[in-house]
Amino acid sequence: MDILETRNLKKYYKTGDGIIVKALDGIDISIKKGEFLAITGTSGSGKTTLLHMLGGLDTPTSGSIYVDGKDISKMGKDELAIFRRRKIGFVFQNYNLLPLMNVYENIVLPVRLDGIRPDKIFVDKIINALGLTEKKYSMPCQLSGGQQQRVALARALAAKPSIILADEPTGNLDSRTSLDVLGLIKTCALQFSQTIAMITHNEEIAQMAGRIIRLEDGRIYGGGCTYDENK
Amino acid sequence: MMKINNKPVINKIALTTYKANKKRNLLIIFAIFLSTFLIASIISVGTSYWKTTMERQLYTSGIDYDIALTEPEDAQIQKARSIEEIKYAGLLVKCAVIEKYQQKMPGKTRLYWADNTCFDKMVLPALETFTGTYPEKENEILLSSRTLQNMGIKKPHKGMKLELSYYTLEEGTDEEILEKEFILCGWYNDYTGKSKGYISEKFYKKSNVKPTDFTQGSLKIKLKQPLYTEKDILSLQNTLNLSNRQIIEADASIISYFIKITAGLAGILFMVFASSYLFIYNTLYISVTRDIRYYGQLKTIGMTSVQLKKLINKQAFWNALAGIPAGLVVAIMLSKIIIPEIISIIDYSFNKNNTVPVNIWSFLIAGIFAIAAIKASSHKPARIAADCSPVEALIYTGISAKRKNRKRESTSIFSMAMQNIFRNKKQAFIIFLSFVTAISVYLCTSIYIRANDAKYILNEVLDYDIRFQNETTLEEEKPIFTKEKIKQLEKLPGIKSVRTVSSKEVIIPYQEETLGKYFKELYSTRYFPAGSYESDMAEYKKNPGNGIFTSRFIGIDEAGFEYLNKSVGNTLDRNDFEAGRTAVAIRTFTEGDSGMTGKTINFRLPGGLNPEKEYSVKIAAVASIQSNPAFFAGGIAPEIIVSEKFAEKLLGETYIEAVMAEYKEPYNKETENAALSVFNGITETSSESRLCNYNEMKTTENKSKVLGNSISIIMAILAIFNYLDMMASNVHNRSKELATLESIGMTSKQAKRMLGTEGLGYAIISVTISLAAGIPLSYAVFNAINLYAGVSYSIPLGRNIIFFAIITIICVTVPVIVYKKTQNQGLTSRMGENF
Repeated sequence: MDILETRNLKKYYKTGDGIIVKALDGIDISIKKGEFLAITGTSGSGKTTLLHMLGGLDTPTSGSIYVDGKDISKMGKDELAIFRRRKIGFVFQNYNLLPLMNVYENIVLPVRLDGIRPDKIFVDKIINALGLTEKKYSMPCQLSGGQQQRVALARALAAKPSIILADEPTGNLDSRTSLDVLGLIKTCALQFSQTIAMITHNEEIAQMAGRIIRLEDGRIYGGGCTYDENK
Repeated sequence: MMKINNKPVINKIALTTYKANKKRNLLIIFAIFLSTFLIASIISVGTSYWKTTMERQLYTSGIDYDIALTEPEDAQIQKARSIEEIKYAGLLVKCAVIEKYQQKMPGKTRLYWADNTCFDKMVLPALETFTGTYPEKENEILLSSRTLQNMGIKKPHKGMKLELSYYTLEEGTDEEILEKEFILCGWYNDYTGKSKGYISEKFYKKSNVKPTDFTQGSLKIKLKQPLYTEKDILSLQNTLNLSNRQIIEADASIISYFIKITAGLAGILFMVFASSYLFIYNTLYISVTRDIRYYGQLKTIGMTSVQLKKLINKQAFWNALAGIPAGLVVAIMLSKIIIPEIISIIDYSFNKNNTVPVNIWSFLIAGIFAIAAIKASSHKPARIAADCSPVEALIYTGISAKRKNRKRESTSIFSMAMQNIFRNKKQAFIIFLSFVTAISVYLCTSIYIRANDAKYILNEVLDYDIRFQNETTLEEEKPIFTKEKIKQLEKLPGIKSVRTVSSKEVIIPYQEETLGKYFKELYSTRYFPAGSYESDMAEYKKNPGNGIFTSRFIGIDEAGFEYLNKSVGNTLDRNDFEAGRTAVAIRTFTEGDSGMTGKTINFRLPGGLNPEKEYSVKIAAVASIQSNPAFFAGGIAPEIIVSEKFAEKLLGETYIEAVMAEYKEPYNKETENAALSVFNGITETSSESRLCNYNEMKTTENKSKVLGNSISIIMAILAIFNYLDMMASNVHNRSKELATLESIGMTSKQAKRMLGTEGLGYAIISVTISLAAGIPLSYAVFNAINLYAGVSYSIPLGRNIIFFAIITIICVTVPVIVYKKTQNQGLTSRMGENF
């Protein structure tokens, strides 16, 4: 079953000089439930743009994005925000934790924004799995980079989303911490049956994923669609 | 070490940065402009406002002097004029009282003679308008507009003949009514509300009244140093060698009063300066801290901290160069053009050149203050920028996040909003401080302005809209205010209520138990010759009906009871008073109740149903003369106020001395004319009304209203802009954080609710603190600088509620509007911004 699917996804920008930049140019991908996917490519290949499109952070010039069978490319701003907090979990390179909230508050925030009481047992399970029990009430500024990224991962997991989108999750971490975090991402994907799409420019890290999609100049050069062409 | 000439480079970078941040610099220039403008105009307009209120107070007193010597002798006058500390001394003598003009009784109009010094230097400055000349010929007379109005003369002209009945006040003579044709040589307007006039030196000499006659002569003294101590007065008393009944009328509390006024004004001024300073400080602080990342980049490529400070100071200097002169120019325009124009629109007779003198000092102070504020305000952020290492600068958020664990699990929109208010404690403190300061000053100025509002003063001082007085009281006692006339007045469409006051002569026999202490105290005042107590009391006991011991038996209706009860602190029981079981005694010249409260007083009513019968009533309270609704006094025994029902029971038909009416719409001209027409043609009545008093005060009132409201508006602008500036920066600075929240699912509706709640929090907290701090402060300021006795402290609820509502609306909407503005960019772009 496909959790995410894009069809002929395009994102074009116009520069100040009037030149059209094709950040994404006809992307067709599909991601199955429980899959751990890596999207790689050189700098400027369009991988971050693709992730933004997949997560509904940006709107495509044309094409469709289906998440859990719903076309998010047609959604309005607030509809997208609600969709994001229910269906998408984000892990950013620079963590994007809210500095005034403690670890627990950061983790449950997307759930609370949805007006739902967080499932405390589930949240504690995540906190425990990510080794954050001792830091539950710490403030982000008290945490190391690796710990902050684990909090970001916990936040992404807490809402039980359809897919977690991770943008260079180890980009700001040293190699040892990077491996720890990646290990945790993989473990969580298995433990919580989570679908994960991760962007990385690091081939070694990409190899840890179940499937790799390679992007260059806004196009897929390998590993794209796995969906049924006749569908 | 060789000196490196890097000035051109610094200048170039400063200029490039300055140009790149046009919007932000415009905001800073605006803040500097506004602060300079506010300070300059507050000082300038405030000085003018203060001058206007002082002017009005002078017009209300009718004469400008510091102290006065009663019943002065010639030698004392000469001596006083030779004393070094005395600026000048003018002689004023009360010579005569006008009784009638063409069968009209203008209410006791006192005629004075003032010597040249007194009139030119003391009386003239206290007159709002003066037409004509001071009387020279024996038959010339100068009258107040109020007197002319009472006489029914609407269009006076010089040389007008006035046939007047009058009596002189020569000591030891009876009030012999004389007739004389006077020539009107001038008229004037002051705010004393008294019917009076001036006569010539020739008339004064012919009247035989002497300056030494008891209570008639007074030497008005203006001191070189108007602040004096009790010691100074005692020393003056010794120098002038006062005789036994003479006193020097002086205010012993003048220095403490002056200190209180100065402290009150200084307090307000300090707060105005503080809020302006905080406005500049906030704007510069926010601006520099927003650029810290940029400064970090400059440091990375080799700029030193000193160079960085120079760069920041240079930009601040350019902003000051644009903001300060603009602020001063607009303040001059406001003071010199806009305000006079507004006043002249309201009052066409107003002389535009006469409002706000452009005082160079106020603008100089404002300019210096703004420079100092900019210098001090740019120092701190420049230091932050200079002290930050390049790496620290790159991650600088300005948020002093908590380092301690916080066991909290709340993530509701409300709790997020509350956290955000206090996210940067220093900044929150400054926002609250500046906001609270400006709101408190607004509250204080609004209270002070109300206390000086002519209508408010008149409403506090007069408890009626119009009062008609029967001038035949004490003499023929003509029944002018008949039941028909009163009904006619009541039936007028604009009349809300009518009160009457009846009075009749009463004989109060000597009663040691009730009145012994009162008379002893009364005879110890300067109004009674020393040694006269025993002989007078002997005469009193023998003949209580003797004119000087009789008094007035005053009846008031139910509406009048409310006012009387209020004046004695609501201590009266209505049922007891209405049933005639209790009464209120009125004291004159004495202080306190002289032990009369709770005691029974016996009296006889010669004009009553049973003239010989002795009645008695319990004195429930003793009130001062100001509480007496009746105008005419009897002898020296205390007046007795009873209920009209009780008075009717003892007198049969009562004699109405005065009628007071309240209008449905106060100060309504039509109602006033209709009320006046009820007694039109009856010459033996006089009237006094709020509208009449208000019209006299109108010129200064218009001026003081425009000036006062300008100060309020300026303070309100300061409060609002300060908040606007800080909230706009606050939301701008948090745009990345808000985008992050959006990325994890916060809808724009939720974001707006959060920001709106933050704004509401700012408003509620600020207004609450402002009320908690501002009310006691304004009370202190009010007590320190209130100029009118009898005017009580009160908060102008309407305008303050509107102001707080505006503040709240602005607080709630501004963050939302700024947030909306930041939404123009896409979410991913906003997430990439610094915060």
